[in-house]
Amino acid sequence: MGKIMNLEVESLAFRHRGQQEDVLRSVTFTAHQGDVTAILGPNGSGKSTLFKCIVGLWNPYEGEIKVGGKNPSKFSVRERARLFATVPQDHEPPFPYSVLDVVLMGRASYVGIFSSPKRKDYEAAEEAISLVGIEHIKDKPYTGISGGERQLTLIARAIAQSAPVMVLDEPTSHLDFRNQLKVLSTVRSISRERNITVLVTLHDPNLALLFADRVAILKEGYVVAEGDPKSVITEDLISKVYGVETRIISSDGTRLICPVMGELT
Amino acid sequence: MKGIKALIILISPIFIGWPALFLGAYGVTPFMVLKILLNETLHIFEIGDIPEKAIITDIRLPRVILAGLVGACLSGAGVTLQGIFRNPLVDPFILGVSAGAAFGCAITIGFLSSFPIQFMAFIFAVSAVVIAYTVARTQGEISRLSLILSGVIVSAFFTALVSIVKFLVDPHKLQSIVYWLMGSFSLADWRHVRISFPFIMAGLVPIFFMRWRLNVLSMGEEEARTLGVNVKRDRILFIAFSTLAVASAVSVCGIIGWVGLMVPHLVRMLVGPDHRILLPLAISGGASFMIAADTLSRTLTTFDIPVGIITALTGAPFFIYLMRKGGKEAWGR
Repeated sequence: MGKIMNLEVESLAFRHRGQQEDVLRSVTFTAHQGDVTAILGPNGSGKSTLFKCIVGLWNPYEGEIKVGGKNPSKFSVRERARLFATVPQDHEPPFPYSVLDVVLMGRASYVGIFSSPKRKDYEAAEEAISLVGIEHIKDKPYTGISGGERQLTLIARAIAQSAPVMVLDEPTSHLDFRNQLKVLSTVRSISRERNITVLVTLHDPNLALLFADRVAILKEGYVVAEGDPKSVITEDLISKVYGVETRIISSDGTRLICPVMGELT
Repeated sequence: MKGIKALIILISPIFIGWPALFLGAYGVTPFMVLKILLNETLHIFEIGDIPEKAIITDIRLPRVILAGLVGACLSGAGVTLQGIFRNPLVDPFILGVSAGAAFGCAITIGFLSSFPIQFMAFIFAVSAVVIAYTVARTQGEISRLSLILSGVIVSAFFTALVSIVKFLVDPHKLQSIVYWLMGSFSLADWRHVRISFPFIMAGLVPIFFMRWRLNVLSMGEEEARTLGVNVKRDRILFIAFSTLAVASAVSVCGIIGWVGLMVPHLVRMLVGPDHRILLPLAISGGASFMIAADTLSRTLTTFDIPVGIITALTGAPFFIYLMRKGGKEAWGR
């Protein structure tokens, strides 16, 4: 690849058409190649908006988004898909495609309009499936597998897209405890193995503490803190951002935050 | 197992087309049909000037081929529209495409008889689907129910316009419009086949090559975009090609509903939803279905019942079955 494919966001501002208030006011952070960068923030803080601006679904925005020093705002949808692989929130497609067929869709930006996936596309899809560890369900219908398996399928699809940046929108929001851990540890090992820049929006600060290399905390359209999760996520900050009193607990070198009950401010 | 099913569906038009040629008011033996066909194509047998020959080659064969072509169009367009609108409950008839095409044909028959009939049919069929889509689309995505409702509205609107044409034209032309609107192949001849064939192919062939895109488009607008698909352009192409096929079908045989809904569903149940397999099989399955329905329509009674009546009699219960089976899921997002 040569170039370092960091994702840099600089003083990004966005407002919906016809509305007065900015959803994002001035968002600046960097997600490094090979790292998992988590975006934390309460509901309505602009996480999803930021996600949609970065992958190019919503525009125009003010400020700059750069990957490897290049600004993709003039890119075609196809070029953009080769740069950003997007993992959407859990959803149900209208037709029961097999897991393999869903993963193959990740190759859309490499397949011409009058053409179908070729052998190299199948190879990329199969490789992504085994990397995520879902070979045993690849012929099952996507609509008939569990939420955790669906999320892993979408991650495999994003890997098959062979893009240097992967963006995940709340991949854990519909998952049970075990699957949350499974999905995020898969994401982390892929970012290491493939040297991919991963950006993930999360609800639970503890998941950021467990899996993220860096964290950016969003509140009312601003980044209020950015850096190593262990130093950024403090009792004071969580109380300021979420309005929840917490205590940090440490055990075996793992730091977690625990809410103090009955004191929701 | 799936491979065998697929193969059977793929070659089914041949097995259904053959009995369609020997069944009918004038009895021809199955063997004689083969003999006549071989005589016509390879000139192996010498079979003099028997009446069966004219019945098979001039009357039944063009009718079977036309029915097959129309069935292929309606079913192929049904798969395409269901895919791009990610809605298993739509087809050209429900979305108002057929009604739009019918209006185009009616004004051509009524007032512009020197004009090629496919042209106006195509213009109004495209307008119908664009209106149905625009009306249904609120804030980015469209719900399944709202698309069907707007299809109903568009259908009603164009049907009313057809009524105006019927009211204004002279009674002689009125009769041909009314009969043709019921949907029938009873007037089919080689001229119809020759006129419609190039248009039908111009619609179906590009869709055949683009069919894998339907998989990606059916995941939704935003998702398809992040996967690298130019959603707007691809949708326009699919709509244009499928509407061209439907408009040329409607302009030779009138409105035949429900085929584009039923056949894709049945084929999807048998071979799965992957459009790379589904689309070609829905095309040949649609051809078989239409040939079978048309054969029924001319052999069931001594009259030639319009085939549109037969497809509606089977299609409406089928739609109810899908609705009940799908339950909330079918109507929601």
